[in-house]
Amino acid sequence: MNDDATRKTLIVGWALLALFVPLGLTLEALHALKLPVYLDSAMRREMWTLAHAHGNLLGILCVAFVAVAKRTIPDDAARASIARWLRWGAVTMPLGFFLGGVLNHEGDPSWAIAIVPLGGLFLLIALVRTALSAWRS
Amino acid sequence: MTGPVSTKRWLLLLLPPAIPSLVVVVLLFGHDPVEFRAAQPLIHRSDDFVGSETCRPCHPDHHASWKRTFHRTMTQRANPETVRGVFDGREVRYEGQAARVFRRGNRFFFDLPDGQGRREAEVVLAVGSRRYQQYFERNEHDAGFSLRRLPFLWHIAEQRWLHLNTVFLGPDDADWEKARARWNDNCVFCHNTGPRPGEAFRVSSDGERQFDSEVAELGIACESCHGPGREHAELERSPLERYAAYAGRRHPGSIINPEELSPEREIELCGQCHGQRLPVDRAHLVKWLTTGPTYRSGERLTDHVIPVTRTTPSPAGSAPDLFKLRFWADGTPRLTAYEYQGISMSACHAKGTLKCSSCHSMHGGDPKGMIEPEMRGNEACTSCHTGIARDVSTHTGHPRASSGSRCLECHMPRIVYGILEVHRSHHIEIPDPARDAEAGRPNACTLCHLDRSPLWAAQESRRIWGDAYRDPLYRMDGASLDLPDATASMLAGDAVQRVVYASAAGRPDAALAPAEKAEVRAALAITTGDGYPSIRWMARRSLLALEQEWDTGLSAPLAGWDHTQASTRADMAYDLLDRVASSELPLEGIHPVLLHPDGSINMERILGLLDLQEDRVIDIGE
Repeated sequence: MNDDATRKTLIVGWALLALFVPLGLTLEALHALKLPVYLDSAMRREMWTLAHAHGNLLGILCVAFVAVAKRTIPDDAARASIARWLRWGAVTMPLGFFLGGVLNHEGDPSWAIAIVPLGGLFLLIALVRTALSAWRS
Repeated sequence: MTGPVSTKRWLLLLLPPAIPSLVVVVLLFGHDPVEFRAAQPLIHRSDDFVGSETCRPCHPDHHASWKRTFHRTMTQRANPETVRGVFDGREVRYEGQAARVFRRGNRFFFDLPDGQGRREAEVVLAVGSRRYQQYFERNEHDAGFSLRRLPFLWHIAEQRWLHLNTVFLGPDDADWEKARARWNDNCVFCHNTGPRPGEAFRVSSDGERQFDSEVAELGIACESCHGPGREHAELERSPLERYAAYAGRRHPGSIINPEELSPEREIELCGQCHGQRLPVDRAHLVKWLTTGPTYRSGERLTDHVIPVTRTTPSPAGSAPDLFKLRFWADGTPRLTAYEYQGISMSACHAKGTLKCSSCHSMHGGDPKGMIEPEMRGNEACTSCHTGIARDVSTHTGHPRASSGSRCLECHMPRIVYGILEVHRSHHIEIPDPARDAEAGRPNACTLCHLDRSPLWAAQESRRIWGDAYRDPLYRMDGASLDLPDATASMLAGDAVQRVVYASAAGRPDAALAPAEKAEVRAALAITTGDGYPSIRWMARRSLLALEQEWDTGLSAPLAGWDHTQASTRADMAYDLLDRVASSELPLEGIHPVLLHPDGSINMERILGLLDLQEDRVIDIGE
């Protein structure tokens, strides 16, 4: 479990949790302070809520992946490749949502939202390849 | 083993697109709220109107800020969420007849007198939601339908039913049919979005004009101000187009942003409703009554309509002074829904850049008045008139903290009647006691200085602002110029003068101490005997307000008095006047006119003033 791929994935997982758990606390504080710059922008609220949810869930997914990766993906090269897709997906999705709520428009996120579907695609690839590897094993 | 594994692998690959495919199916065949609303009765989607639901996905914040306004709730289908009136089976009476208001489940009804019998009328539409709410029933004819106003409105602040004959500027009238306005060719225009009256120019067998009316949206919604949105919505559905627009590429003409209009075009946009008007010619009138108003946001309003002014000829068949009476003699509007005419006359607009949004905000501030809090104060004016802002009291001649130093009190005085309320004039102007006395209109100075005359106001104006102010030569109503303007106007004035001063007399910021209001109370007491129930309403309300300041024992008789019962008005006026005369309020130094210095009633003066009273009914067009 201490190969380079899983180590990087573990770092990314904990790093995501370290970033996006505090974001949740920050959002709660914005509610408590009733700041219009957050509360009155439906789009920003949605984007940052999604960033918080995806960041934490994908952080947990990365940590969980490391825990089961060797058992489900015995092939080292495949595991390293899948871990790479997972890391990129896990980073780009919450980042895209968060940046989508920065300099956003009233009814649309900012341009940064474009990296979210890209991240989703990375995650999908990682998911499908993991499922196939698990199936074969 | 290869075969089954391969099949399972393919099945596995089908999992990721499964949910997205289901989403597509739901979107194609599931409930569509936009289509659902468009398919409701009375609603059309012609003339490129698409409805506010179409705007919401891209403009959620603006949609939310609009949704809290009284614009949105101007016209609503009747249901327990929208109906403000209490339909609890109670009986409501007026001029010897009674109606009963009641519910059956979620439906609302009036039981009404009908010739020798009774009939039930079901409420289908509720119009209004802030100050009062009016109700409409649907009548089917052999072709088309009409929506007719029911005879009582619900006054929200007072939580009571009032017969419509008691809320306009006319005398008591036992004819319950008098105010049965038809929605299809009246209210439909300004209380809804994208109206299409659908007049067929035929008369049905029961003598009703035939309509098949529809609106794009009940109430005043996005497209009332931004124009029909179909082209804009279709264009901006593409994310590429939207992001191109964010990057600066404009789609000119696809939608109107009122903030980008010139002051002239912007006040015209609001003036399409807040400025009574007539179609510019017969062809436009026919279009109005069939496919609706031809004006669209951003266009020149006067290409489509003629804004009504004091000199506008009355339509054939109506009273010759119909429009003339809706304005003070100097042309200033004195009824609501003429704000466009008022602001058009104002130097701040004509010579400056003032427009409606200089003070009002459609998406911010207090929904009551649609105005930001700071715009209720001096900032509304001092943001442009910066020199005055530095030393307000030098400009006003009044202490800085007094109401006399509030710009709006003098330059936008409350001299405009709307139903059971007096509002600020939107003709922003410099007060002039001589002009106002001669034009028969209340003056900003004497609306506050209730014990003072037009002559006094002119002298004080000269003292503070210089010799440009002359003495008035006469009062339009014929009363003496040295009488307090409030007293003379409440007794001798015409209906709007009387109601304006009856309202001003109860305001807490009048320039009189509570103990100095014996004369004001006397005038209000006499006004409770006015021939117009709406003026009695205002006098009663002001007296009750004064009694909160200084109790002289008038509250008890007033609390139990129904001002709509005309037969009680004279007795009430005498009773109240006697109570004022025998009250402990001091008379020394307050220029008594209606009371002798010894406290007795000056009946000769009172009758003399009442003889001058102008009794013309003012058709306020509501």
